[in-house]
Amino acid sequence: MSDSTSKSLVIWAFVATAIVMLSAPTIVVLGASFTAGNIITFPPDGLSLKWYASIAQASDLRQAFVRSLIVATICTLIAIPAGTLAGIALVKYRVRFARSIQIYLLLPFTIPLIGSGIGMMLAFGKIGVLGSLWPVGIACCVINLPFMIWAVTASARNLSPDLELAAANCGAPPLQRFLYITLPAVLPGVITGSLLMFILALNEFLVSLLLVDARIVTLPVQIYNSIRSIITPDLAAISVVFIVCAGLVIALLDRLVGLDFFLKSK
Amino acid sequence: MRAPRAQYPLIWRTMDALERFAELVWPSRFQPGLPYVMLLPALVLVGLLVVGLIQIGDASLRTLDTKTFLTSENYTLANYQRVLTEGFFFKVASRSLMGALIVTLVTLIFAFPYAYLMVRTPSSTLRKFLLVALFLPFFIGQVVRAYGWLIILGNQGVVNDALGLVGVSPIRLLYNYPAVLFGLVQYMLPFAVLMLAPALTAIPSELESAASSLGAGWVKTFRYVVLPLSKPGLIGAGLVVSTLSLTDFALPAILGGGTQDFIANAIYDQFFRTSDQGLGATLSLMLVAVGSILVGVVFMLFGAGTLAMGDDGK
Repeated sequence: MSDSTSKSLVIWAFVATAIVMLSAPTIVVLGASFTAGNIITFPPDGLSLKWYASIAQASDLRQAFVRSLIVATICTLIAIPAGTLAGIALVKYRVRFARSIQIYLLLPFTIPLIGSGIGMMLAFGKIGVLGSLWPVGIACCVINLPFMIWAVTASARNLSPDLELAAANCGAPPLQRFLYITLPAVLPGVITGSLLMFILALNEFLVSLLLVDARIVTLPVQIYNSIRSIITPDLAAISVVFIVCAGLVIALLDRLVGLDFFLKSK
Repeated sequence: MRAPRAQYPLIWRTMDALERFAELVWPSRFQPGLPYVMLLPALVLVGLLVVGLIQIGDASLRTLDTKTFLTSENYTLANYQRVLTEGFFFKVASRSLMGALIVTLVTLIFAFPYAYLMVRTPSSTLRKFLLVALFLPFFIGQVVRAYGWLIILGNQGVVNDALGLVGVSPIRLLYNYPAVLFGLVQYMLPFAVLMLAPALTAIPSELESAASSLGAGWVKTFRYVVLPLSKPGLIGAGLVVSTLSLTDFALPAILGGGTQDFIANAIYDQFFRTSDQGLGATLSLMLVAVGSILVGVVFMLFGAGTLAMGDDGK
């Protein structure tokens, strides 16, 4: 066996296993949601859309989904300005204590989610705002903010400072330089970051679980609560909603920035 | 006097007004302060976590009075003593640490070839396929994925059905340690690949060609060229995977069925089952400490790797 065939054999063995592992739950949930039977099975027991009809009727699931959408929207709307400005500031300017600021901004990744969640639960509880949705949105924004900043810095690094100097030379005042030069240059990063923030907040489970009460459960929490009682096929159907959302976001990412964005070297 | 002004397009006049407004709010002599103002919103948001940690610290120093179900007024270290002495917490902590270690190793072993193939393949179709296969589960969320595993691994699940066809009686595949670890590896793969990929992109493929034209086989090239150069990616991926799996809640809860609790589950139970806030807060704080020490040591020794934001670390 030649050198390069053995190499690709080894690589493909790992990659194929990884692909099966990554896709198996998605495929099974998709398949199980179309079952005509009353228990969850894969391969499905006959094909029907009856579980989709049943989730369309269930107002609790629908409301939970709307709440998740609200949380994700709040999260994204806060993350866009905060993350974009911070990302540009970190790359474009010489900031004092840049290293410390960076480590500080990575705190959401280094503090365990359960710690962040409990901490914000106690803090929001103290000022008495638990029970509404906006604290959940803010919390989701905080825990995923590094994704946003990271996406913006990845774009901002490709912006040559000479471009802005040239614009300034031609008489463009600061705001104009920002709006016409800097912002368009980092736009791919902003789009990538906001799509990430949106989908991650839509799926956020643990922080939601800690910050919501029975009246305002979000969809992942609702699914989790149902899994622990009885597993019925309507759960598979509602899970497909998440799969569709994920697919949409991937399609958007690919269209607007290209998935290759994530492969850029650092 | 008025007529020539009106010939300016509206957008120019708006921009001029905005410029004047910006100059008024933030005159150019404040320019050196500008980056700090831009950083402010992010700093404040992350500050919420710091406030939360302070709250946890405060709660951890108060014990629960089991008679009145009120927390004590004065500070004591009793909770810390309990956590360090009770065998249950030691067992949960070692289960989580061991789990995180195994999951990190296995995830990196699978993520590396995946990232490598994704970066190096000349076919853009294959690259896109690999990216989509990676992002789809990443964007679906833990609960739905765990639900998928329940269908696959359950007693009447896909795997046991298949085994039944060849005459093997059902095996209990769920609610044990391997099931949790397996779920965690699957959950972590996208994170690991995405942290590794930028580091691998940065390695010029000419280096590998050079190594092989000098007579090195691919194993040798991998060992002495690719692996050392992908260090920033391995650091970033290893850190993310180990901290996330050490502190995960959903997968131990769903795939472990309450018998395979990790630290996060123990913390949750303290808050919401036994309502012993103090003890739960103590556990959280100790988990944060362990995680931060881990991250801190790695940052000190190796830098932030692909986790770095901004201009640092290059």
